[in-house]
Amino acid sequence: METTANIQIATRLGGRDSIRKIPAARLALWLFLASEIMIFGGLISCFILLRIAHGGWDAEAAHVHWRIGAFNTLVLLTSSLTMALACTGAKEGMARRVRTCLGLTILLGLTFLGVKACEYSLEISKGLTPGAGLFWAFYYTLTGLHSLHVLAGIILNTTLWIAAGRMQMWSLVQRRIEYAGLYWHFVDVVWIFLFPLVYLS
Amino acid sequence: MVGSIREQSAHSAGVPLDLRIWGWLVGLLIAGLTVFVMPIPRIAAIGLVFTAAIIKAALVVRKYMHLEAEHWLLYVIALAPVILIVIMAVALLPDIAFKQ
Repeated sequence: METTANIQIATRLGGRDSIRKIPAARLALWLFLASEIMIFGGLISCFILLRIAHGGWDAEAAHVHWRIGAFNTLVLLTSSLTMALACTGAKEGMARRVRTCLGLTILLGLTFLGVKACEYSLEISKGLTPGAGLFWAFYYTLTGLHSLHVLAGIILNTTLWIAAGRMQMWSLVQRRIEYAGLYWHFVDVVWIFLFPLVYLS
Repeated sequence: MVGSIREQSAHSAGVPLDLRIWGWLVGLLIAGLTVFVMPIPRIAAIGLVFTAAIIKAALVVRKYMHLEAEHWLLYVIALAPVILIVIMAVALLPDIAFKQ
């Protein structure tokens, strides 16, 4: 199945070299990530331009909890480490390490969402809702969309974590964990830019 | 072939490399936060914080996502939307940001 897909891609690219280097699923995932870059990039560039146009939104930005944001950044960076360790473990055939690291990644993802939910409730209790102004509309859109992506990553990782516990599904996990890892790291990269943009500038 | 050998060596480096990259990421996060709380000009602080963010993103993409060992086509796929967005933002900047 994999070989057939590789050959199809190689025909399109017109090179034998490509057969080894780009499996169809990996190419498709990078194309998907490129579309995600367009979504987040479009929103982020609109946010930057409107922020410049409105004098920086300093008064509004003073109300965000940068310490909570910094903690969440640390959580996501650590989850990227555990995901990378899970991928390395899968390549080396270490099922137990894969399950442990995937479990930790899921827990860290849930921690991120829990902390974000607490942060939202703090802000909403002060009347800082999406309707409180353009800054807050962007804040909730950007962080909310990112949180939805974290949730999708958690669901994906959970299915792999369950599959990793069954011997007959191990080869499937070994193939798919790389793609789950790529997605999870991408979500991390988006937050790496959102954190200074929303909390620190 | 060269790419696959590089990929194999990257995987064999395994756990210590992943941990080292995480150390750098946390170090850069702390550096960014230190710059943010220090009493330095705002524009300089923002510049340094975003420089740290770009380095962090590059580390994740190259090392954790293994883009450094990938085919050039994946670089093009990843960079094309970024370039398009930068062009769009620069083109709109005079109209939106500096409108009287």
